[in-house]
Amino acid sequence: MWQTKTWLRLIAAVLLLCVGLTVWLATRPAASTVVEIVQNGTVLQRIDLAAVTEEYSFTVSDGNGGSNQITVQPGRICISAADCPDLICVHHGWLPDNRAPIVCLPHQLMILSVDDATTDASIDATAQ
Amino acid sequence: MAKRISLDALLLAIALIIFVLEAQIPPLIPIPGVKLGLANIVTVYALFRTGARDAFAILICRILLGCIFSGQIMALLFSLGGGLFCFGAMLLLKRYLSEKQLWICSVVGAVFHNLGQMTVALLFFQTTAILAYLPVLIISGIVTGAFTGICAQLLINRLGRTRAR
Repeated sequence: MWQTKTWLRLIAAVLLLCVGLTVWLATRPAASTVVEIVQNGTVLQRIDLAAVTEEYSFTVSDGNGGSNQITVQPGRICISAADCPDLICVHHGWLPDNRAPIVCLPHQLMILSVDDATTDASIDATAQ
Repeated sequence: MAKRISLDALLLAIALIIFVLEAQIPPLIPIPGVKLGLANIVTVYALFRTGARDAFAILICRILLGCIFSGQIMALLFSLGGGLFCFGAMLLLKRYLSEKQLWICSVVGAVFHNLGQMTVALLFFQTTAILAYLPVLIISGIVTGAFTGICAQLLINRLGRTRAR
């Protein structure tokens, strides 16, 4: 049976490691300006944010009565409105200002930089 | 036996109330999967006081009923994945901990809950991109697990003399 002190050290070590990883993940530069909008493992759209000149918005439906409004500006993209219960996707803010993928779990929707994309779907999209 | 069923039902009712109430609080941190997990106080308490089988029954009933009450089918998958991982980890760990170290069980359980959710998310989204959230979720598990663990620890200390069965 370990002493409480040993457990505390282990927990502190894991905590420090994860804080380091989080900082690294959040600050690593994006190599590509292309983002993918993925729903249920299918790539709906690929957008090169560097090629965007004017702001525009569109709505993505989840096929079950739910929807997310996506706004694109030169160099960045966000979910500007949604009818999911938690609105975590809206509060996430802009990609790539906030480097992590934008996720809307209730609507199975994700917006991510293609740097991070390793889906079968994205490989198919590239092949096409 | 009747006493046991009554106690389990009482704990389930408490867990459900906490679960439903917590769902009403808007998410404070906009990261998918991060929440306080207050209902885990009941799971930890039950694991140490009523035994593994009763605790498991309470957990599964709470997840199923909780998702019916909040009306979210997506949440069910994630709750079940997280709940099963969490329970498994706590059950294994329990043997190696004294009752004074109960809160550690909760910390490890919460971390595994988030690992379980991540596993479901990986299967669901079929992309490793969401692993970017893994370190944050582990941090969140440690912090929230410590909080709920200390709550459960205080509860056990105070109710220590009360025989569960």
